[in-house]
Amino acid sequence: MSNEFEPIIIAFCCNWCSYTGADLAGVSRLQYPPNIRIIRVMCSGMVHPNLVIDALTKGADGVLICGCHHGDCHYLEGNLKAESRADAIGLMLEDFGLEPERFRLEWISASEGPKFAQVMQEMTMAIKQIGPSSFRTF
Amino acid sequence: MAVKVAEEWLATCGGCEVTLLDLGEALLDLLPKLEFVHMPVIMDHKYYGQMGEREKLEIPEADVGLISGSVRNEENRHVAEEMRRKCKTLITVGACATYGGIPALNNLCTVADITKLVYQDTPSTDAAATPTQEIPALEERVYAVSEIVKVDIKLPGCPTTPELLAEALTCLLEGREFKLTERSVCDECPTKREKKAVTAIKRPLESVEFTPGQPLSEVRCFMEQGFLCQGPATMSGCGGSEKVTRCIKAYMPCRGCYGPIREGANPMVDMMGALSSIGLNPREIVDRAPTFNRFIGAQGRLKPGMGGR
Repeated sequence: MSNEFEPIIIAFCCNWCSYTGADLAGVSRLQYPPNIRIIRVMCSGMVHPNLVIDALTKGADGVLICGCHHGDCHYLEGNLKAESRADAIGLMLEDFGLEPERFRLEWISASEGPKFAQVMQEMTMAIKQIGPSSFRTF
Repeated sequence: MAVKVAEEWLATCGGCEVTLLDLGEALLDLLPKLEFVHMPVIMDHKYYGQMGEREKLEIPEADVGLISGSVRNEENRHVAEEMRRKCKTLITVGACATYGGIPALNNLCTVADITKLVYQDTPSTDAAATPTQEIPALEERVYAVSEIVKVDIKLPGCPTTPELLAEALTCLLEGREFKLTERSVCDECPTKREKKAVTAIKRPLESVEFTPGQPLSEVRCFMEQGFLCQGPATMSGCGGSEKVTRCIKAYMPCRGCYGPIREGANPMVDMMGALSSIGLNPREIVDRAPTFNRFIGAQGRLKPGMGGR
């Protein structure tokens, strides 16, 4: 076993686009790091900042919210809500002493399997570079 | 036999002691059952004996201890610890004792910053060294009482309401369990909500739109009017039996003195989420950390350097 730092990354994926995109990445046998823990939610607009801050302050090293592209939201404007909340989350990371790179919002459609794999790779690389979260106790 | 009560105030304004008097008729029913053995605000009872003859700080034994105020200095800490030793049940009364209250806004600065400002930098002060003798040293930060000693019942509010205090004392006397509601101010709020803000964020000095005497059910939600009403992240209950909370009843946005809805919640995160969900721009908020933690800055919620200024 190597002692390299393996981050824990939570990805909230919306049921209609990003989770299906993740499924496509899997079916297409695309490689991406196993550090990602996917949580399927009905819409990116239901991921309250609470969930993100809670994850980051209770052991996760990074959090992703993935939703449909603008105009594609199954619930019409859930992703716009997620976008304005993402801004608030970005502001608060600073209050909790967390690096801005630990949170990312991405639009991934159901047909973008390769993009899903690429985003997950980028995120894992970025978190590996900045190291474990200061809140991590294990 | 009457239940013995000891009351103490730490870093506080005394408003919660007034709440006790404000019980009104309920006080008449309660008083015969209570015997106050220690209460600095109305009784001359000295910690080191009336002549200062004792060596150790001492508070008489009591069944119920009431503490208002947060722990700001070493004296506060010693008094809180002695109260815990001598009281069978310990109740924190008010936002300061429960969550740090207004004094905990101090947690945005270090003690060195504060003493430098107070003893050296204010324009009307002849700069001098920070006094070290005969006054208790400041703690590193402001603590809620529950961070120092175990607390049995916590009554939030600035000040707490007479109904809540009476309910807590009555529960104790009758041996019932005392429980706070887990409902938010918004759950009890009668104003009209459309889930979309009508304007940008307004400062508190601007006035809520309503005509005097207009029923609240016809007034637009204050947050949708652009005010930083803390209703979504604040525990309800300050309205007592009338349900509608005190500030809302006076056409004022909630300031959050009842603290988080449940233990472990973070009102600042909740508020930032709630604001951005209805289309307000979170970047327009000046001083977000102190604004959303106005009464609850202890327990690690406010730290030096936070704020977004």
